[in-house]
Amino acid sequence: MPIITLQYEDLESLTRSDKDTIIDRVPMIGADIERIEKESIDIEFFPDRPDLYSVEGVARAMRGFMNIETGLCHYDVTPSDITIELDDQIGNVRPVLGCAVVRGINFTSSSIKSLMDLQESLHWGLGRNRKKVSIGVHDMANITPPFKYQAVDPDYKFVPLDFTEPMTMDEILEEHPKGVRFADILEGMKKYPLITDSKENVLSFPPIINGTLTRVEESTTALFIDVTGLGDAVYTALNIVVTSLAERGGKVESVKIIYPDGTEKVTPDMTARDLKLPRSEIDSLIGVELTNEEIINELERMGFGASLSDDGENFDIMVPSYRADILHNFDVIEDIAIGYGFDKIQSKFPKSATIGSAHPISLTRGAMREIMVSLGYSEVMPFTLTSQKVHFEWMCREETDDVTFVLHPISEDQTMVRTTILPNLMEIFSLNQHHELPQRIFEVGEVVVNAKNRLHLSAASIHAQANFTEIREVLDAVMRERDIPYEVAESTDPAFIEGRRADIIIDGKKVGVMGELYPGVIVNFSLGQPIVGFEIDMTE
Amino acid sequence: MSNYKLTTNEKNVLLALDELASTTPEDLAEKASMKVETAMQSAFLLSENGLAEVNDTITELYTLTDEGRTYAKEGLPERQLINAIQEPTPIDELKEKLSPKMVGIATGWLRRKDWANIENGMIVPSGDAGEAEDEKVLARFTKEAHTLEELGTDNKIIKDLIKRKLVSKTEDKDRTVSITNDGTELVKAGITIEEEINQITSQLLKSGEWKNKNFRPYNIQTPPRPVYGAKVHPYQRLIDQMRQIFLEMGFTEIKGDVVQSSFWNFDALFQPQDHPAREMQDTFHLSSRSELPEDYTEGIRDMHEHGGDLPSTGWGGKWSEDIAKRDVLRTHTTAVTIKYLADNPNPPVKAFCIDRAYRRETIDPTHTPEFEQLEGVIMDENMSFANLLGCLEEFYHRMGFEDVRFRPGYFPYTEPSVEPEVYIDGLGWVELGGAGVFRKEVTEPLGIKQPVLAWGLGVSRVAMLKLGLKDLRELYQSDIEWLRKSQVCQLKD
Repeated sequence: MPIITLQYEDLESLTRSDKDTIIDRVPMIGADIERIEKESIDIEFFPDRPDLYSVEGVARAMRGFMNIETGLCHYDVTPSDITIELDDQIGNVRPVLGCAVVRGINFTSSSIKSLMDLQESLHWGLGRNRKKVSIGVHDMANITPPFKYQAVDPDYKFVPLDFTEPMTMDEILEEHPKGVRFADILEGMKKYPLITDSKENVLSFPPIINGTLTRVEESTTALFIDVTGLGDAVYTALNIVVTSLAERGGKVESVKIIYPDGTEKVTPDMTARDLKLPRSEIDSLIGVELTNEEIINELERMGFGASLSDDGENFDIMVPSYRADILHNFDVIEDIAIGYGFDKIQSKFPKSATIGSAHPISLTRGAMREIMVSLGYSEVMPFTLTSQKVHFEWMCREETDDVTFVLHPISEDQTMVRTTILPNLMEIFSLNQHHELPQRIFEVGEVVVNAKNRLHLSAASIHAQANFTEIREVLDAVMRERDIPYEVAESTDPAFIEGRRADIIIDGKKVGVMGELYPGVIVNFSLGQPIVGFEIDMTE
Repeated sequence: MSNYKLTTNEKNVLLALDELASTTPEDLAEKASMKVETAMQSAFLLSENGLAEVNDTITELYTLTDEGRTYAKEGLPERQLINAIQEPTPIDELKEKLSPKMVGIATGWLRRKDWANIENGMIVPSGDAGEAEDEKVLARFTKEAHTLEELGTDNKIIKDLIKRKLVSKTEDKDRTVSITNDGTELVKAGITIEEEINQITSQLLKSGEWKNKNFRPYNIQTPPRPVYGAKVHPYQRLIDQMRQIFLEMGFTEIKGDVVQSSFWNFDALFQPQDHPAREMQDTFHLSSRSELPEDYTEGIRDMHEHGGDLPSTGWGGKWSEDIAKRDVLRTHTTAVTIKYLADNPNPPVKAFCIDRAYRRETIDPTHTPEFEQLEGVIMDENMSFANLLGCLEEFYHRMGFEDVRFRPGYFPYTEPSVEPEVYIDGLGWVELGGAGVFRKEVTEPLGIKQPVLAWGLGVSRVAMLKLGLKDLRELYQSDIEWLRKSQVCQLKD
């Protein structure tokens, strides 16, 4: 989740409150404070609230929450004569485009950084690493409208940001750090997206890099903003960027987008979305009776426009255009609850009478635990992720075909889910060589065989006198306690010594194995004393 | 006199001492017909009562070393050298004649004993080299060890010889046990020996003999050897405590497979298919595929694409069956819970699950790729967010956390969402778990008509708090000594 650094100076002047009050209140709108520094604070906001990824956005929310300025924020958009035309190919490459012009900004190095940070956070939060949304911000000084958004051949050349020589778009994808990082978004495409001005100057190669011509400096006063992508999130991202600049005093102008079929769209569109919210839904979800006034008040504190419908049963709600998280009425109701304050909600323990019951697997495990502890075996709870090396090779066993492998292991120690427990017990012995013998351990737990859970019990004992008789007696005690008749038969399991190993048979079916561990196995686990063990499947 | 309570052993030792008066432990043991250790144990007890005395004397003994023996026979190096010259002689010449080593040793002692001076590389005899005290002492040594008195000398001479490694010192400890006046008087007054019982035997019990005998008292202050019983794993004990809380609150325990389709793990929970948590770097993906449940596939697709029949926008875009079919190791137990709710849509349902979940995390002290997760759900008519908070308070109180507070949270499948925090002395408010009301986008396509309250938490985090662990790995890669010493009652407070 993005962590946003907020400078106190900005935060205080934009919120019109002091930092201590803000810091005290900010977690209650949904945020985790990560670090409090001398000049700034780092806050982690939730991924569903990209409108809080800038100091301007946080200030806007806090002004409402702290009753400094409530209700829907209005932003003026002046029409401009600037247009951008889409060619007939771009629809197959990166179809959605939103643009805006913002004038009259006084940039400082810190406000430029804040804008760049917002861009990056939006690329992550809304853009899925630029795939769905990417934002370009340009100094308008050196470019001349009208603009063009087109799909061009990969050998098209221009000078990208941070470079001095012209490069083809393919070269950029191979050599430019941003190109290398985001090349996979354009993989398999025959043509690449490009935004140019009327003199063929390159503004941007979305979603990769801008041209060097439009770099934003402290001297920049007018910005052209392009947001490209795959869906409606493009317009939300544009609104978040534009409103945050407007919060700093920028004058927003719209841009006319002309599609190949001649239709037009004017962006940014900051019209609030209308939503009808039944009162009954609010009451039943929150579980607290609020008055109409309270509901309207909380909605306005959370930045919504709100009024009671004529029928008196619903609220007419205006959702700000920068909110990305309002999918459903529930999302608005949550904001009412947040506005009201979770701490003020009177909690109620549900009255429904039900009878609890433990799962049969837990009951079996509990019984096994009692048997094994009474026999002097201590319980262990090892990881279930393991490797072929430990699970098969070190156990001198052939790899089986019932194993669940993970596709991208983190390390070579964790390539698969165990199908047996005994190798885990061996590993625990090898971690405990410096401790007193005898050591006797067991686990009753789940293994995964053919992608299904199975319940196994395995136990092992290590000490100088460990022998077949010892483990035979323990296994016999377990079976007696379970009241299950069993037989033993010659085993061929190579993890045990020939002639000192036995398969455990119930109703003619093999359910497990026991014996003295084969010396090769003991040595593979770097151990130096005799070991005996058993493992049985007790899936019901 | 009668106020001495003596054991049979003590009585026997005292009688033996009375005859011997003063003796060695060995002789005393022989006289009393006991082992030396047993006799001395009684002797010490007697001395505590002032009936006997145990005295240790240390005798220092000296013997010649091999080198000392040689010099005793042939003379000390300085003696050999002074005997070899009559007039000033160059050191180099002497080195050839005797040996460089011997000349080296000798020169220092020649000057200390005033037998000669060193001038311009010459040894100049002083002409006065009578027998020195150390030579006399050396001469008195035999093969045996000697005391200082026997050697007729003082400490200084012997110290020098020890320093020259010609003589070695050993210590001989002599222990004497003697009877005191009180002891003698007690014996005079008369001591009767009765047989005492050490170990109770079945013979003693059957015959009734024990009635006429005394039990030898033991030293109850002797510290015991620590013994450790086999243990249930402390982490399991904590898990069982949590299970118990749920069972007492009327919840049914549920379980499910570790291998789950992305459908149940993500899609059914309205997690968008391009959500970062679904990517390879966060989730363990498998090569296998699962069939999609026919009853729900259509509904889930519609919900993701456009919000189904709800006034919801959905996530937009195309929902892919292929992505939903991909198997993963469950990233949360919610995969099990949601399937259970879909299979049991009739209220009321109260269910819980405490089981292992898997995330693609690199192992370090606070992260492990597999960990236990706890989850509880309530599905019933008229359930509200206020009911959820009521449940959470009750649950955390029963877990032993008295102060609970709630902050807004975010989870993709709940709305409203809440992050409970508990107050812990020394740590302050600690975030512990997450909770919320399932989104309609989740419940609707599965035919769940009533609100679902859900909460969950990482059990290993609680384990760190309650078991005082610094490193989560200790739970899974257990140190057997730690298990042996873990305390059954640790979790009670």
